[in-house]
Amino acid sequence: MKHIVGLDEPGKRVILQGNEAFARGAVEAGVQVATGYPGTPSSEIMETLSLVAKDLGFHAEWSVNEKVALDVAVGSAMVGARTIVTMKNAGTNWVMDMFSTVVYRGLPGPLVIVSADDPDAFYSSTEEDTRFLAKGVGVMILEPSTQQEAKDMTKAAFEYSERFELPVFVRSVTRISHSSGDVTFGEMRKDRNPVFFDRHYKLPFRFNVYGPFKYKGKAGPTAKHAWQLERLEEIKDFVNSVPFNRIEEGESDLGIIASGMGYSYVKDALMKLGAEGKPWILKVGTPFPLPENLLKEFVSKVSKILVVEEGDPFIEEQVYVFLKDFALEKPVFGKLKNRALLRYGELGITQVVNAVANYLGIHPPEVPEERRKLKEELVKILAPRSSALCPGCQHLGTYWGLRFALLKLTAKYKQEWKGVWIVNGDIGCYEQGGYGIFAKEITPSEDKASKRYMISNPYEILDTNYIMGGGIGVAQGQYQAGYRDGPIVAVAGDSTFFHACMPAVANAVYNKAAITFIVMDNSWTAMTGHQPSPTSGVTAMMEPAKKMRIEDIAKALGVEHVWTVDPYNLKETEEAILQAMETAYLKKVPTLVVARRECALQVTRRALRSGVELERFVVDQDKCIGCTLCVQLGCPAVGWDKKRKKAFIDPVLCVGCGLCAQTCPVKAIRPSGKGVKLYEVK
Amino acid sequence: MGGKNYYLMIAGVGGQGSVLLSRIIGDAALRKGLSVRIGETFGAAQRGGAVHSHVRIGEEVYGPLLMEDEAGALLALEPLEGLRRGLTYLKPDSIVVINTRKVFPIDVNVGAAEYPDVDAIIDALKKLGGSVVAHDFTELAGKAGTTRSMNVAVLGAYARLIEGRETPFTKEDLLEAVKGRVPRRWLEANLKAFQLGYEVADKALKEG
Ligand SMILES: Cc1ncc(C[n+]2csc(CCOP(=O)(O)OP(=O)(O)O)c2C)c(N)n1
Ligand code: SF4
Ligand code: SF4
Repeated sequence: MKHIVGLDEPGKRVILQGNEAFARGAVEAGVQVATGYPGTPSSEIMETLSLVAKDLGFHAEWSVNEKVALDVAVGSAMVGARTIVTMKNAGTNWVMDMFSTVVYRGLPGPLVIVSADDPDAFYSSTEEDTRFLAKGVGVMILEPSTQQEAKDMTKAAFEYSERFELPVFVRSVTRISHSSGDVTFGEMRKDRNPVFFDRHYKLPFRFNVYGPFKYKGKAGPTAKHAWQLERLEEIKDFVNSVPFNRIEEGESDLGIIASGMGYSYVKDALMKLGAEGKPWILKVGTPFPLPENLLKEFVSKVSKILVVEEGDPFIEEQVYVFLKDFALEKPVFGKLKNRALLRYGELGITQVVNAVANYLGIHPPEVPEERRKLKEELVKILAPRSSALCPGCQHLGTYWGLRFALLKLTAKYKQEWKGVWIVNGDIGCYEQGGYGIFAKEITPSEDKASKRYMISNPYEILDTNYIMGGGIGVAQGQYQAGYRDGPIVAVAGDSTFFHACMPAVANAVYNKAAITFIVMDNSWTAMTGHQPSPTSGVTAMMEPAKKMRIEDIAKALGVEHVWTVDPYNLKETEEAILQAMETAYLKKVPTLVVARRECALQVTRRALRSGVELERFVVDQDKCIGCTLCVQLGCPAVGWDKKRKKAFIDPVLCVGCGLCAQTCPVKAIRPSGKGVKLYEVK
Repeated sequence: MGGKNYYLMIAGVGGQGSVLLSRIIGDAALRKGLSVRIGETFGAAQRGGAVHSHVRIGEEVYGPLLMEDEAGALLALEPLEGLRRGLTYLKPDSIVVINTRKVFPIDVNVGAAEYPDVDAIIDALKKLGGSVVAHDFTELAGKAGTTRSMNVAVLGAYARLIEGRETPFTKEDLLEAVKGRVPRRWLEANLKAFQLGYEVADKALKEG
């Protein structure tokens, strides 16, 4: 067995990461099909499942995006199979079309949707709370408070989904998914659901929203909607009896409604404050629908209520509605009116301890004044650590080429252009091209006029960035609005290309947007942990797969001018990007450059595993003229000795890609002569 | 209540093995029948970003996060990151093992920030209340066979420092946990690194 979650050892106690716990829950439920698209903090669920899929005899796949993942999952549950689909918060936005439609009449097989939110946006562009999406379409939501519950709830979600023949939504957050805890294994279901198809299974025209299903005097989708709402009433009733919802009795008349991570922080906080057993607690495992019978009982015992939940005031809003319905006047504290907790950022233990202490009228623990002062003094020597690309990252080469191509082309056309290029970014390791250098201060300007900014490293190259696949579309809008002050560029990675860029490329060709699209193909979905992508040549289950070539697809989509380069060749990369931008300008058509080179970290790891010693590069201190060009490459292994005004290379970090040597005008950087060159590792 | 819980912080940069280290320590606690929570944010896939692990051990622990000044021990795989987390989490009267091998942040490389003097970092951690053992554990691990066992060398030093202190596990528990987690082909080098780390701390303690 390639992962512990596949072991049939009920009662075994192990430390599992939350995502491994979700995977174990699916394994215990006898999962038959698992799909997903990588996205931090959700990816390890599918990664774990794909490791045990072969041995346990189920199908696991990385789909090309979340929408496809859910569509595949729906097909699977439609023919009866127990199915799970995983995604991160942003991915849940992608599935909404199918998600909001499939609930009309549901599915015979269980369908569990796991969505991992990211309060505090550790890995995401937003803090979006996806519970609103699930409530919007009207399905049951489960939210675990520990890794044990992550496993137990996932297993139960299959059961609940099969019972009501509707999808069940499991909401995770970073602190569940990426934290670890002790988990006790349960029984593994050995039987599998029969796989079958009957178009009129239980209900006529079940799987065709437009089928003439008649119900409550209506037909078609409206009738199906009526059917779903009836199920929802049953679910409302049912959640009062699920074990994940419960009341914990208190000695005072103070009540706390706590859900998910919020519950765990509240329990820890009460222990720290010595106030265990003082407040009443309603532990909510189903943020939607709320267990109304329990809520009624709870409200009758308390005089006021504190709501602690991770994300938006989702439960809190429902509590307001509930109180109004029952004409109960009790003050609610949370994130909305009586602000006890911030609405942005993650809850965190400190905030919850303070909020609970305030609520209970206890003094929270404090750091003594003297120590606070000491810290203020000591913190002065601290330096920030901005995120950077890996040593030897091939994206460094592409950005170097892009930077100089932009400079040269805008110099060449300085009569025609103001020289203000736009580089539209996208989501992947290369998004770090827009992270900037944390230690630098920026003053914004107020003029509505194009302004050129000089950049001195790859971390400042991206002008815009929003969502996966967004850059290539945004670039077209800039062009179509008439922006002509400089070249318009978009970049994206290979996984992103397949996820969301292909329709946008077709759009650029069709609507004649003269922009340049650079696809940085590193053969993997690197940023989320190196899951295979359609360019990798393997599937999630590590079976050989067709290796798709982006230049072929681009040509098939109608892009006439396509270049393919190796970003480890700086000259070639710069020239191709320059030509591509010039061609777009002169011929008024979209152009595309594929910069292909496998992710350096993958290659490095492979080399290390096979015992190969990689060659390092060194800076000849006598030859170095202190021009800082190599430092501007942005490789974290290239350092700058401020005192001596010379560059140096960290021998522990350097992986010997040779990029910095190409930037040096006086050939002061050379290979050490020992070991294998990175770009020669197969 | 809650006083019996044991809290520890691991700080480093991506690729140094802090996750494995937190799992080893968690396993050692699990062997004692205790509950374990480990809180991490991994940063992105790439190497070199700041990473830290909160480790909470006890009869009853729920969430994964430490509060300010709660860490009874700090294992710093990189000096700057050790200072960063130590400043927030280190408890007065705690133990600190710090690897003195610097990993420069890109901010320093591009000249936008200055890397603090390692002695100043050690001094700061002492002022915050840590009994500090500082050493180039990367080099030490290299002597044991692979620099990649640096994390386990740090663990070895920690195993010496907890002797005579109230901790949920002993040196032997930690060693057993190392054996359970480290891939077989690297085990010998890691056990050696553990031992070398232990000796470094032993020597440091004897020299006061
Ligand atoms: C809708 C959506 N799904 C998933 C993610 C998570 N995510 C972040 S980067 C990335 C893809 C990175 O792959 P690629 O574009 O090939 O770039 P690389 O990191 O390999 O350079 C993914 C899936 C996201 N941000 N948004
Ligand atoms: S993981 Fe790969 S693509 Fe991402 S920064 Fe590192 S080398 Fe570059
Ligand atoms: S050869 Fe140069 S650019 Fe490549 S990893 Fe080493 S220091 Fe970085």
